[in-house]
Amino acid sequence: MNTVLSGEISSVGEFLAHALEMEVESAERYRELADAMQVHNNPQVAALFRTLAAEGHVHAQQVMQHAAGEDLPDIAPWAFKWTSPDGPESAPLDEVHYLMSRRQALQLALHNESRGHAFYLQVAEGSANAEVRQLAAEMAAEEGAHVQMLRQWLAQEGDSEPVTQDDLDPPCQPG
Amino acid sequence: MTVSALKAKDYKSEIKPIWCPGCGHFAVLAAITRALAYLGLPNEQVALVSGIGCSSRIPAYVDSYGFHGLHGRALPLASGLKVARPELTVLAAGGDGDGFSIGGNHFLHACRRNIDLTYIAMDNRVYGMTKGQASPTTAADWAHSSMTPQGTGIRRFQPAVIALAAGASFVARAYSGDPKQMTQLLVEAIEHPGFAFVHVLSPCVTFRPEQREWKHQVHPLPEGPLSDPGQAAQMLHADDGLGLGLAYAQRLPVWPAPHQASATLAELEQEFVR
Repeated sequence: MNTVLSGEISSVGEFLAHALEMEVESAERYRELADAMQVHNNPQVAALFRTLAAEGHVHAQQVMQHAAGEDLPDIAPWAFKWTSPDGPESAPLDEVHYLMSRRQALQLALHNESRGHAFYLQVAEGSANAEVRQLAAEMAAEEGAHVQMLRQWLAQEGDSEPVTQDDLDPPCQPG
Repeated sequence: MTVSALKAKDYKSEIKPIWCPGCGHFAVLAAITRALAYLGLPNEQVALVSGIGCSSRIPAYVDSYGFHGLHGRALPLASGLKVARPELTVLAAGGDGDGFSIGGNHFLHACRRNIDLTYIAMDNRVYGMTKGQASPTTAADWAHSSMTPQGTGIRRFQPAVIALAAGASFVARAYSGDPKQMTQLLVEAIEHPGFAFVHVLSPCVTFRPEQREWKHQVHPLPEGPLSDPGQAAQMLHADDGLGLGLAYAQRLPVWPAPHQASATLAELEQEFVR
């Protein structure tokens, strides 16, 4: 498992601030990717990203319920303790293509959810605060269920789909 | 922070970007909205001005005042707005063609005037909106456009070095693949009193797919921020164009000077209308 944490998370407030940022950003990213795929006439992948955005939104709401009433620290966007450019669960913006297939999108989602799972596991294993460890372990279990769900979806997708689709209106660029 | 504090999505409009999936401009949009949220700037106190091009569509995607102006004219529009409404936070944005070719002369004089605004140049070294022609920042031997099948044969424009030579008081380079650093640099640029130039490397995945490799090629600038423009220019000139960070920041007099006399419209009429 790759390291996704760049430092120890030592309080419940700090942990929830990270979890909230990660989950909200991830859901929002899937929604934006769905919009982009819709604009670029890839309705199958747009629908998949839309589904993932809805799933992500539910998870973000759950974290928000945990955070309600908590005094969360004000963390600058560049000071979150993860090693990735964005939150660990956010699809990298440069890893998508307008011709990508559902299978590629599912692989990307599995990668993202696995990183989210790793984030919670690493907090659960590394924090000195017992309350943080317990909360992170609970969330890791939920995230693990997401990873399993995506593995099932990927298995159902089959291998027959072409890696890329034909572009009927390609960019005019010499070979 | 509370759960109800301003978030980046509070600065995103309902309009869906038409940029190609994978385009670096998505990350610039995310960084701008994160920076505005971090600074807690009210939406109605922010104005985002642009010219023409893929990147210049960005005012439509930000929930603030916006002006999608003429090609190359983002900076004079933004300058006029800031002078007329100094209480606003004014950002100008655009691409390498808009900013350094069509708007190249405006770029020089915006740097020189040092008006308190932030200019975000989203550089992908190509004219993407018109399907992939060489821009001022394209390498001389880039031969992948039917317009220049053997390359342009012209040396690349060096935006950050030129900005320093023209008198800019804040010069930084960011990369869309490092949104954390880009957000931090944008916050510093917005807070900087004077003309802040943020040169953003923002890959065009459609016409310059090889720019996806930038993620393995970018590197921190060897030092910075420097306070001597000559040293900063020397450092940037020696760089391969992929060095990231704040190269130069210096407090210089901001135009217009705060002591400048002001007059009401009625007073002006009395002076000029007889």
